Amino acid sequence: MIGVLIATHGNLGSELIKAAEMIHGSMKLVAHVAVDQDKGVEDIKKEISAGIKKLDQGKGVLILTDLFGGTPSNLSLSFLKAGKVEVVTGVNLPMLLKLNEVQEGKSLEEFAHSLKEYGIKNISLASEILGKKFSG
Amino acid sequence: MDIALVRVDNRLVHGQILEAWIPFIKADCIVVVDDLTASDMFRETVIRMAVPREVTVIISDVEEFAKTTPFQAGNGHRTIVLFGAIASARRAFELGFRFGKLNIGNIYNDSCVICCTPSVLLSESDIQDAMFLRDSGVRIELRRVPREKPLDFFEIVRSVTI
Repeated sequence: MIGVLIATHGNLGSELIKAAEMIHGSMKLVAHVAVDQDKGVEDIKKEISAGIKKLDQGKGVLILTDLFGGTPSNLSLSFLKAGKVEVVTGVNLPMLLKLNEVQEGKSLEEFAHSLKEYGIKNISLASEILGKKFSG
Repeated sequence: MDIALVRVDNRLVHGQILEAWIPFIKADCIVVVDDLTASDMFRETVIRMAVPREVTVIISDVEEFAKTTPFQAGNGHRTIVLFGAIASARRAFELGFRFGKLNIGNIYNDSCVICCTPSVLLSESDIQDAMFLRDSGVRIELRRVPREKPLDFFEIVRSVTI
């Protein structure tokens, strides 16, 4: 199984996991790193590194971050390694809910790619979908 | 180049810069002055990818920046100059890059002797560099994002050390 580490500003990651578990039940091989304003860059890097080690069962680790260009993402990118660590930015709840389903039979790279597509697909403007039918 | 903000932030380009300072200032140029980043293709690439396309990105080491940047004459750009450490800002100042005001965002130093705010932890040499800049006439404020009230650096240092 591929490990998933969620690195975000503040407690967004742990809250996303809580929300996903509320819907889905407990999640395996998922952890989070919180980037707070009072943590130093080196300390955060150590936490990410420890998280990767803990989650890697040989199939690699996917890091999900909130914002491309933000500190959690910047620091995660320094761990990029083909076949070992991939990074997808813009994490959302639909992505977390589909971790198991999406990764089945996939390599780390394929998993990262599919999860990115799934995350994008699940952003909708409700009136675009419902508008014609319901808004007359 | 019209310098709108001179800032020290050891996270360099990150969320506060991209989502708060660039839109607030309406900056169309950002100069990252950091020796490590200037010699690291990967970090440079990440920064270039993160900054919105319409904002010009210049990445330079301290010496190159102070020597070559035409920082006096305006060519319409509203520019953010971003240093990774107070020492770099001081070095650029000594090499001829003059500024009247320095903004401090995030500085985290393991060998911290003064904890100004949760995001500004200064070492002995940080304080010396800041004192040098103050004695040269630079006003130093602590302010992570534009919506935050700026704090006067030396008032905080005074209140912490007394």
